[in-house]
Amino acid sequence: MELEKEEILSAIHHCVKCKLCSIASFHPNEEWLPLCPSGEYYGYQAFYAPGKMEIFRAILEGEITEPSEGLLNSVYACTVCGACYEKCKQITSVELGAPDLFEAMRREMASKGWILDVHTSIADKIEETKNAYGEKYEYKVNAETTAGDADVLYYIGCTARYRVPEIADAMLGIFDKLGLKYQVMGEEWCCGSVLFRTGQVEAARELVAHNVEEIKKSGAKTVVFTCPGCLKTFKKDYPDMGVELLHSTQFLTRLGNMNLKKENLKAAYHDPCHLGRDLGIYEEPRAVLSEVADIKEMKREREQAWCCGSGGGVKSAFDDFALWSAAERLKEAKEAGAEALVSACPFCKRNLKEAAEKEELEVYDVVELVNRCLEG
Amino acid sequence: MNETFSKLVKELQAIVGERNATDDPAICTSYSRDQHWHFVPAKNPACIVRPGNKEEVRAVLMLANTHKIPVIPYSTGINVRGLTIPVHDGSILLDLSRMNRILEINPEMKTATVEPGVTFGMLLEQTRKYKLRPAFPDAPLTVSVLVNYYLRGIYQTSATDGHDHTISYEMILPNGETLKTGSRALSEMPYFRYGVGPDFAGMFCAHPGTCGVVTELTAKLYRLYDNRKEYFIGFDDVGTPTKFIYNLMNDDLAASIRLVDNQSWLKGIFGTFDYPYEKLPKFVLCVLIEGVDGIYEAKDKLVRAYMKECGGQVLELPAEFARTFEDECLGGAEKSCMVFGIKGRGNYHCIGLYGPLTLAAEYYEVHEKTALEVGIPQDHIHFYIDPIYSFHGQLCYFELDVFYDGSDEEFGDKLRNYNEKQFHRLLDLGIYGWFRPYAGIIEPTAERIGYLAEVWKKFLHVLDPNEIMNRGKLF
Repeated sequence: MELEKEEILSAIHHCVKCKLCSIASFHPNEEWLPLCPSGEYYGYQAFYAPGKMEIFRAILEGEITEPSEGLLNSVYACTVCGACYEKCKQITSVELGAPDLFEAMRREMASKGWILDVHTSIADKIEETKNAYGEKYEYKVNAETTAGDADVLYYIGCTARYRVPEIADAMLGIFDKLGLKYQVMGEEWCCGSVLFRTGQVEAARELVAHNVEEIKKSGAKTVVFTCPGCLKTFKKDYPDMGVELLHSTQFLTRLGNMNLKKENLKAAYHDPCHLGRDLGIYEEPRAVLSEVADIKEMKREREQAWCCGSGGGVKSAFDDFALWSAAERLKEAKEAGAEALVSACPFCKRNLKEAAEKEELEVYDVVELVNRCLEG
Repeated sequence: MNETFSKLVKELQAIVGERNATDDPAICTSYSRDQHWHFVPAKNPACIVRPGNKEEVRAVLMLANTHKIPVIPYSTGINVRGLTIPVHDGSILLDLSRMNRILEINPEMKTATVEPGVTFGMLLEQTRKYKLRPAFPDAPLTVSVLVNYYLRGIYQTSATDGHDHTISYEMILPNGETLKTGSRALSEMPYFRYGVGPDFAGMFCAHPGTCGVVTELTAKLYRLYDNRKEYFIGFDDVGTPTKFIYNLMNDDLAASIRLVDNQSWLKGIFGTFDYPYEKLPKFVLCVLIEGVDGIYEAKDKLVRAYMKECGGQVLELPAEFARTFEDECLGGAEKSCMVFGIKGRGNYHCIGLYGPLTLAAEYYEVHEKTALEVGIPQDHIHFYIDPIYSFHGQLCYFELDVFYDGSDEEFGDKLRNYNEKQFHRLLDLGIYGWFRPYAGIIEPTAERIGYLAEVWKKFLHVLDPNEIMNRGKLF
């Protein structure tokens, strides 16, 4: 979303700094539940949405001319989770949201070269290896069940390929067990999400062109994603390819009865920010999860879910903060009486799992449970 | 930043920890502007310090006092009047949001003792366990309890709560001394405002951080009743409902009474934009009754009797509107902030003042007259009244509002013209006092208060001889 300077300044001027964006809706339960991980962790006003907007104003009006450490930290130690916008929108009907503003801010900063080294190194890795982790490109799929002419293409994504392969394995397992024809891309490149989210838009152009070309060539009619970050990027930053883009949980919901064997498991569902707040997909993951586990409601859910702490380039640059944010979510799941915390995003899974290392709480992606509960 | 100041930041970091003091220009920028920026231009503090306890506050103040560095106390960051925007170069902004402990809730005494970073939301979450609540300002429930009470200008949403909710407090002065007011000075019992000597709690109140730093405050709590009922009555003018309001207040009948115009605050009070507000009468009186069994029913009977003769139109509105009104009045303002979402007019300018109900119609008249004179369109002019118990002097809080597009610089000029005229006109008309020391309000006021202004300045000099405490916000 390209925004004009005047449009941005107008939006910034309209923030009255009530800071209600930093807490979940208070009424009617009258509970004080913070919503902004970055503000809660770092504390300075600069880390809350109103403070960040003020910094953006100062950049645009030429008051900030150097990339100080505080500038880089306050701008990039934000998961751009969008919780602030959801809250503000409910109260003020504001149309231009903080995530759009903050991504525009990052683009503006990147254009000046004000960017974290760790984020430029991700861009370098992508340029070299076509994936965000700089891993050697390879992913084995079952040649017997993939079909080059299948209508359904599973876009795996970097994180499920190289960091949380159990999600990709589970999704492929589901295809296999259900006997569904599918294909994966011969040369799947990073979708570019991390570049878009960190302001390095130019570096993403080549990736977009390649992936669009490959998908067109594949003849697939539907592309399925287990990564909401990839899905959001395809939906919002890619040209229309004339194919249907679905999250795994939407795809599974459409299949109807899968003969799942429900487990005796109390599970809380963690809404991934890209899936929920960005794409409005709240019901399908719950519908799928309810087939395999008993759902325990957490206090902050759906539009007002607490972010896992992993997105927006935070995990790579501010791991302590990312893990703290995840630990807060784990606490909430345990308070809800859950034995497992289930998400629908490889970024969430990775960060929550890492934070749960010493916890008595299992962390899954919903497709893992589905795969487990499918009669093989 | 010069070398001396960098050394000072190091000293501040030694007090509060490296993570909690910074002179990073971007971090400082985030504190540089608030909602009042058409009147108080953006200015960066030189550094931000975030103390975690009163001993750190003391050490910071003493250091600043030694070097004569201006200090601006700041609580939870919800500032809409420019009172925490620096006036002087090289100021330390003392961000007290880390000090957010509720030190005591005493249901027997009906009090709460809090630090400056405690918000109304945080406090209610705890007090409701005892069926108690704080007195709420009609401000977001993210605002600081301590600062709202200490600044006094409390424009509360419940008429029965009275005006002053402060019982006693503890303040650290620039020289590092601790002042305790009321019974707090004499004992471990901070529950009585009038302890030894004069009412120091009153003398220090209403200063925007200009005396010292209040590190803890004991406030009154009020009962939450299960029995509640709401009425909404429409009027076409401000004058007609005043008799009805007087009757309700005189007989102590209503928990909350709010007369608002139909185009602004009603949206928040009802919790929706999606309603044909323009079809309602121009002003709507919102009345909430509560009480224990027996008294509640009796109050309701009397309210209904007064309603019959009030000259207004009793409105039938969706049931959820009443629920939101209750939440906003007795549970803290959240949806009231929907005024910030009025299409194309989400910025908020107000002159808040205290005055008698008898002048209500005249306040509205002068508000409308001045606004139209400076070119503010009629549909940007808004108004509300909250009467305040007890009704000696027919005390009310009045708010003369203009909602506008903050990005419109020309409108900013209009508002500055409005203020310049309006402060004098209101003083000529007669008011009890201003809600806050807004930018530009103290000068015309000080001219009229005679020797009191001189004594006030001397009083500040005694407390803060080096003039480090948020100077420029009063004198």
